[in-house]
Amino acid sequence: MTVTPAAAPGADGVEASRAALVVLAAGEGSRVGHDTNKVLLPLAGRRVFTWSIRWAHSLPQVGQVVLVIRESDRELVGRALERELPDVDVTVVVGGRTRHESEWSALQTLAPEIESGGTEVVVIHDAARPLAGAQVFLDVISAAAVYGGALPVRDQPALTTLDHARQSELRRTVAVQTPQAFRARPLLEAYSRASADAFVGTDTASCVERYTDVAVRCVAGDAGNIKITFPEDLFLAERLLAKADWDLSAETVAHRWSAHEGRRRRSR
Amino acid sequence: MSVEFSDLTCERCDLVTEHELHYAGRLLESVRCTRCGHRVMLSHQALLPAYLHDLEHRVASKPQRMYRRAARDPLAFLVGLPLAVVRQPTKFARELWSLVRR
Repeated sequence: MTVTPAAAPGADGVEASRAALVVLAAGEGSRVGHDTNKVLLPLAGRRVFTWSIRWAHSLPQVGQVVLVIRESDRELVGRALERELPDVDVTVVVGGRTRHESEWSALQTLAPEIESGGTEVVVIHDAARPLAGAQVFLDVISAAAVYGGALPVRDQPALTTLDHARQSELRRTVAVQTPQAFRARPLLEAYSRASADAFVGTDTASCVERYTDVAVRCVAGDAGNIKITFPEDLFLAERLLAKADWDLSAETVAHRWSAHEGRRRRSR
Repeated sequence: MSVEFSDLTCERCDLVTEHELHYAGRLLESVRCTRCGHRVMLSHQALLPAYLHDLEHRVASKPQRMYRRAARDPLAFLVGLPLAVVRQPTKFARELWSLVRR
C-alpha cells in the first residue's frame, strides 16, 4: 500500500469546478420503528451534514454538489441548506436502501456532466463525518486525478496481526475514512455495470475494484475526521471544531501550508 | 435549553437506539439513551469554559450571521429583529441558569 503525501493547495491536476461532491446523508435505516437521522443533529450551530459540504466547497476544484437524503428528511434538509449554505448550489436526490443504491442515485444525477467531460473527479463523502476538512478533500481529489482513485486511511497499530503464513512479517491494518475520490468516467462505468449485474458493493472502492482496473491509492487520513456513531463522538466533534476555531476551510489550509513552507525554507 | 432526538449507538445496549440530546445554547450538554437510560454528559468543570468559549465565537460571528439573514430575506429580518433583540437577554440567562443549576 502506498500513501501519497498531502497536496499543496492549487498544486493538483484538477481544474476549478471539475470535481463533483456527493454527500451521503440517507443513512441505512438499520433500526426498526422511529428513526431520526443523526446527520440532521445540531453541531456547534449547524446541522452535522452541512459542515463537510462547507469545507469541500471552499476548494475551487469542487463544483457540483449532490446531497443524497431520505424522502422523510427533505423539508428539514431544505431549511438547513437555505439557512446554512445559502451560497452553495446543492442538488438534492433521494437515496436507496443501501449505500450502494444511494451512490448510484447520485451518479445518475451527475451522469450528463460526467459524459460531457465537465466533471473529471467524483468525491463521495459520508455526511456523518463533519470534520473532514478541506485538506483531506484536496488530497483525495489530487490523488484521484493522478492515479484514478483515492481514499484516506489511518494506521491502526493496535489491530495489527501476525501473518500466520509468514510468521516474521506483520500485516498492516488501516481504518478507511471518507471522502473517497475517483475519476468520474470509470466510476460511472463501474456503477452502470454493477446495476446491470445487480451487484451491491459495501463501499465505493469495492465496486470500482470489481469492475475497473483503476488503481486506488491511499492518502493520509486525519485522526480528527471522526464518524458520528456514539454520543461521545458529538462531544468530541464539538471540542475539535472549537480547537480548530470552527474553520477547516481551504483558506485555513492555504494559510497553514504557506506557514509550513516558510518554516521549511527557514530551517534549510 | 433545547432538546433533540436522534439514533446513535448506545454502548450499554450495544444497539442503535433513540437518544435524547440536551443543548445549552448550541453546546451539547448531555445525551441519554431512551432505551436503557445510560447518560453521557460533559463534566461541570469542562462545561462552563466550553460554553464561554463557544459564546465568544457566537458573539464574534453574530454580525456576519445577521448580515446573511438580512440579505436572504430583508423583510422577515426587519420584522423579526425587535423581538429577537428583546429575547436575547432572557435566552442567555436561561442558558447560563441551565449550566449553573447542574
